[in-house]
Amino acid sequence: MTANDYVFTSIRELSGLIESREASPVELASLFLDRLEKLGPDYNAVVTVTRHLALSQAARAEQEIADGNYRGPLHGIPYGAKDLLATSGGIPTTWGAAPLRDQVFDYDATVVERLREAGAVLAAKLAMVELAGGGGYRQPVASFTGPGITPWDKGRWSGGSSSGSGAATAAGLVPFAIGSETGGSIISPASNCGVAGLRPTYGRVSRYGAMALSYTLDKLGPLCLTADDCGLVLEAIAGSDPKDPSTTQRPFRYDDSDVSGRRFRLGVVKGVADNADESTRANFESALEALASIAEIEEMEFSDLPHEAINRTIMFAEAASAFEEFVDAGLPAELTAPEDRYGLYARVAVLGKDYVKATRLRTLMARNAEEVMAPFDALVGPTRSTIATPLDQEFRSAALHGGRDTMGAVGNGAGLPAISVPSGFSDEGLPTGIQFMGRAYDENAVLAVARAYQSITDWHTRHPADLT
Amino acid sequence: MSDHNTQDVEDRLQIVTRLYGDRLDDDQLAEVRKGVEGIVEMSEALRAVGLRNGDEPMSAFTPYREEE
Repeated sequence: MTANDYVFTSIRELSGLIESREASPVELASLFLDRLEKLGPDYNAVVTVTRHLALSQAARAEQEIADGNYRGPLHGIPYGAKDLLATSGGIPTTWGAAPLRDQVFDYDATVVERLREAGAVLAAKLAMVELAGGGGYRQPVASFTGPGITPWDKGRWSGGSSSGSGAATAAGLVPFAIGSETGGSIISPASNCGVAGLRPTYGRVSRYGAMALSYTLDKLGPLCLTADDCGLVLEAIAGSDPKDPSTTQRPFRYDDSDVSGRRFRLGVVKGVADNADESTRANFESALEALASIAEIEEMEFSDLPHEAINRTIMFAEAASAFEEFVDAGLPAELTAPEDRYGLYARVAVLGKDYVKATRLRTLMARNAEEVMAPFDALVGPTRSTIATPLDQEFRSAALHGGRDTMGAVGNGAGLPAISVPSGFSDEGLPTGIQFMGRAYDENAVLAVARAYQSITDWHTRHPADLT
Repeated sequence: MSDHNTQDVEDRLQIVTRLYGDRLDDDQLAEVRKGVEGIVEMSEALRAVGLRNGDEPMSAFTPYREEE
């Protein structure tokens, strides 16, 4: 194998090569650092390339492995972190916001610490939508690093808010990345960029050191080339953390046992693809046909609650508090997207009693979700209702064609795990995504279904022609 | 939008303008008004669902004590 053969190689395969010393962590780091520097600007995917740190961590990994101290599947694997994860050592953490481009922290986020302990190599801080969309952005041009671009078409959006995490993984700039999700920010770029993105259960991964947008909705998770890789990364970053009181005491161990021959029971939310564009709906229907060979599939429904109003009320109120200092300092005026310069101000109009009512209704939402999802291994639906929109187009109106995103609202509101994996391509050659959403703490169930789906399809093995 | 909700929008918009009005031009203020209208519509959607007095929030407060 030459160094370039390592691009678009899964963590599972790379780790085998590293453990057997057929691949050198320093060589891998150099390869991906060069790609980040050379190709990152093409997709507005990178804020900071951490070359010095990466080479130092890679050299340490190489020495440890040579000494017989192999730490596990992430040892010596380069990765990128969404630029809302605090990093020490003078590396900026910008939150995607122009007025914070020089912000530095003197500590590392717990996720960054855990990945370091697993031997992973931090190669870059990746671009993101400013304040992770906290200002209410409506268009791709909402980051001081420029609009996130999908590697499949330089005129189309990467999705957000974990824009760089999706684009960098899809362009082979890193083997995996960490993103965050409050209301779709991991699975949306995974879909637009044609990679796997895992939103863990709320509280599964510590958010200490991550920018807070919404204290009770924010989650951190991996974007990778395969569902299997997402399981490997999740095991490394999951676990309780005294610094984040929301973290669960329930341990997570990735169950990577063979899924061949296993049959699943999947639910489809009634009308879930009704508002999808033609390519997305056709690919979803084809995916269901493929899944029928490994699963029983039934229609189901959630109770009729105002799911999106519940989530948005909670998010608005928590964001108003989280960004109070930012707002009071007048910093929104320096944001990139015009709508983000005023979007945060209206949030103070959420009433305290409405916030509390939303949290009470959230209890009903979560209990209903548990009840109606209990018979299933996972629910399945299109990740997004459209393919990636053009860079100059507002995406909110296009995203749902006026419909509801019930899976997204219930999934985030009830804190449920979901994974998006590629489900095909549109006539324009843009990827579509399919999501599997499970009951709370059932990451292994959604990973198993996604792995089984990837074992009978090959969409995840395709990469942009100009990058292979 | 009902008369009640229209008044609700005006009342809540006053809070925004009192706190931050000096930073917003007319166009931005018009957009903020739309944002407040959306928040009032969300209030209406929440109020349309009845709850019992004992229906508690999802996340309960947990008293803190440092490990000994």
